[in-house]
Amino acid sequence: MPEDNEERNKYIKAYTAMVLSRTLDKKIVTAQRQGRVGFYTPTMGQEALQVGASMAMEPNDLIYGYYRDVPLMLHRGIPIETIINQIMGNDSDKAKGRQMPSHFSSKEFNFMSIQSPVATNLPLAAGAAYALKYQKKNNIVLATFGDGSSSTPDFHAALNLAGVYDLPVIFLCENNGWAISLPVEKQTRVEIWTKAEAYGIKGVKADGNNFVDTYEKVRDAVKRARDGKGATLIDAISFRMGPHSTSDDPAKYRSETVDEGSEKDPLVISGKILKEKKFLDDKMIEGIKSRTAKLVEDKFNECEKIPAPDPSTAFADVNAKLTWMLKEEVEDIL
Amino acid sequence: MSEMTMVQALNSALDHLLGTDKSVVLLGEDIGKDGGVFRVTDGLQSKYGEDRVLDTPLVELGIVGMSIGMALTGLKPIAEIQFQDFIYTAMDQIINQMAKIRYRSGGDYTVPMVLRTPYGGGVKGGLYHSQSGETYFAHTAGLTVVTPSNPYDAKGLLISAMEYDDPVIFLEPKRLYRSIKGSVPDKEYKVPIGEANLLKEGNSVSIITYGSMVPTVLNTVEKNKVDADVIDLRTLLPLDIDAIIKSVKKTGRVTIVHEAPRTLGMGAEISALISERAIDSLQGPILRVTGPDSPFPYRWEEYYIPNEKRIMNAINRLQTFG
Repeated sequence: MPEDNEERNKYIKAYTAMVLSRTLDKKIVTAQRQGRVGFYTPTMGQEALQVGASMAMEPNDLIYGYYRDVPLMLHRGIPIETIINQIMGNDSDKAKGRQMPSHFSSKEFNFMSIQSPVATNLPLAAGAAYALKYQKKNNIVLATFGDGSSSTPDFHAALNLAGVYDLPVIFLCENNGWAISLPVEKQTRVEIWTKAEAYGIKGVKADGNNFVDTYEKVRDAVKRARDGKGATLIDAISFRMGPHSTSDDPAKYRSETVDEGSEKDPLVISGKILKEKKFLDDKMIEGIKSRTAKLVEDKFNECEKIPAPDPSTAFADVNAKLTWMLKEEVEDIL
Repeated sequence: MSEMTMVQALNSALDHLLGTDKSVVLLGEDIGKDGGVFRVTDGLQSKYGEDRVLDTPLVELGIVGMSIGMALTGLKPIAEIQFQDFIYTAMDQIINQMAKIRYRSGGDYTVPMVLRTPYGGGVKGGLYHSQSGETYFAHTAGLTVVTPSNPYDAKGLLISAMEYDDPVIFLEPKRLYRSIKGSVPDKEYKVPIGEANLLKEGNSVSIITYGSMVPTVLNTVEKNKVDADVIDLRTLLPLDIDAIIKSVKKTGRVTIVHEAPRTLGMGAEISALISERAIDSLQGPILRVTGPDSPFPYRWEEYYIPNEKRIMNAINRLQTFG
């Protein structure tokens, strides 16, 4: 049946992206421990919700993400090399190693360049959505952020603006329960999705460990946005299985863990969904995993051979036209 | 040509920009029906519609952040912050987003937009409606900082700023909004960004100033018949270093006049640049006449803003050298 096939392909693509992300994640963390990579913000635990959200997006929709969005990027089709080259800050990285690892950018895939200051992408997403609406385009904006971001003035500003101007934007809270060391219960007294009501936009809670649930909820929000029915705040509940970044040890501030391969692991949950649907069996899953492991290993080794960018690139692209001050300063440095 | 105030010249520029390019949008607080608290946008919402001249909620970081997103998505926003004193909640957006997007995306994403805001004292605004915060912006790589001192430059610089490929901070000296008039072409014209204006030529001293202080300096020089070069910087980042150095090499004496506090004000940077490039030409110290390192007072603002007496004190002191 063609319809079944379409769903099957969609689900397998989703699962494959999750496996790829998990494999890459572990590879990067290991490489960081070996001193081959400077820093990373692991994504383990957030694969299902990100891939679910990405499934509902079109290529011309705009993504305003944050520094923990690798699964979404991979599902969107952004090449794994783009991610590894950025992590390594090598000559093939478009930004020439100017940014810390995890701060990706891909204009080709409408994935806006990532910032560190949390939630500052959200007002931008509102502005982008205003532009799309003004230009009468049928595209929408997806903005992602963590639960900690819900405390910021930028979150408030962006959701309020999205409400006031009825903007085609989806605010996806990747609620992994932790903002570095602060649990979400100490971040806010209410469930994050309920905050939508204060801004006159729709609020929805999603099971972020279940890609199908997240997909369906984001898909509905996308439809509302495309139909001119305004913005949605989606609170996708998951769990940050790893540390905030390679620079902290969660054992210092939390006792709760979700082990890889356990029943709460979104990859295990996703595998079960695909098996229940009879889209995949154990053997096929093993096949995906082994092919992915080889792909990651090969690409990582390939990218590692790419030389560092020329030091002069560290001071380029500051302005469209190089200022006389910077020209003089760079001549002094190099 | 019409005789216009700076407010009228800016309105004329905005009208021109909105009228010629549908991607131009204005956003800010009370800029619609009210025409902005200084009336710079008067009549533009009724002429171009609410979707092009947006009355925003009261949220400076949202105004700036939204403008950045608009600029990234094909619009050409001109945002207004009602008073420069209120811009600080948006500094994260300005410094960490607006100024750094080109750099961090390897030039893939750019933010061509203009952020207008009135600054400076002399209108009985007290400490929260009088600040001159240009240094905060001029200290940030990626920004371009412009300030006109007369109606002609205001219109020409604003039109140039809108054609710029990068974000421009457009600082409007509110004391001069209506206090001076000048001839302004009705049609479009440009005043180049990055070029200072030598307003008066002389040989005994170079007076470097900009924005709100320009008329005070000109009046002082004319009244006291000072044989001075008067340089109106017009662009604060990047500075027109050639114009500054050329004048200093001719006169050998320099005073820098600005309203912002002295410590780490524009005068500090200009002074350092001159000492690095033209110290052999100097016949005496570089003297700064500036606002003091205090908040801006309500009752005694005339003591805060540099005046004729203080400017002449510096000029007279410089004449004792060389």
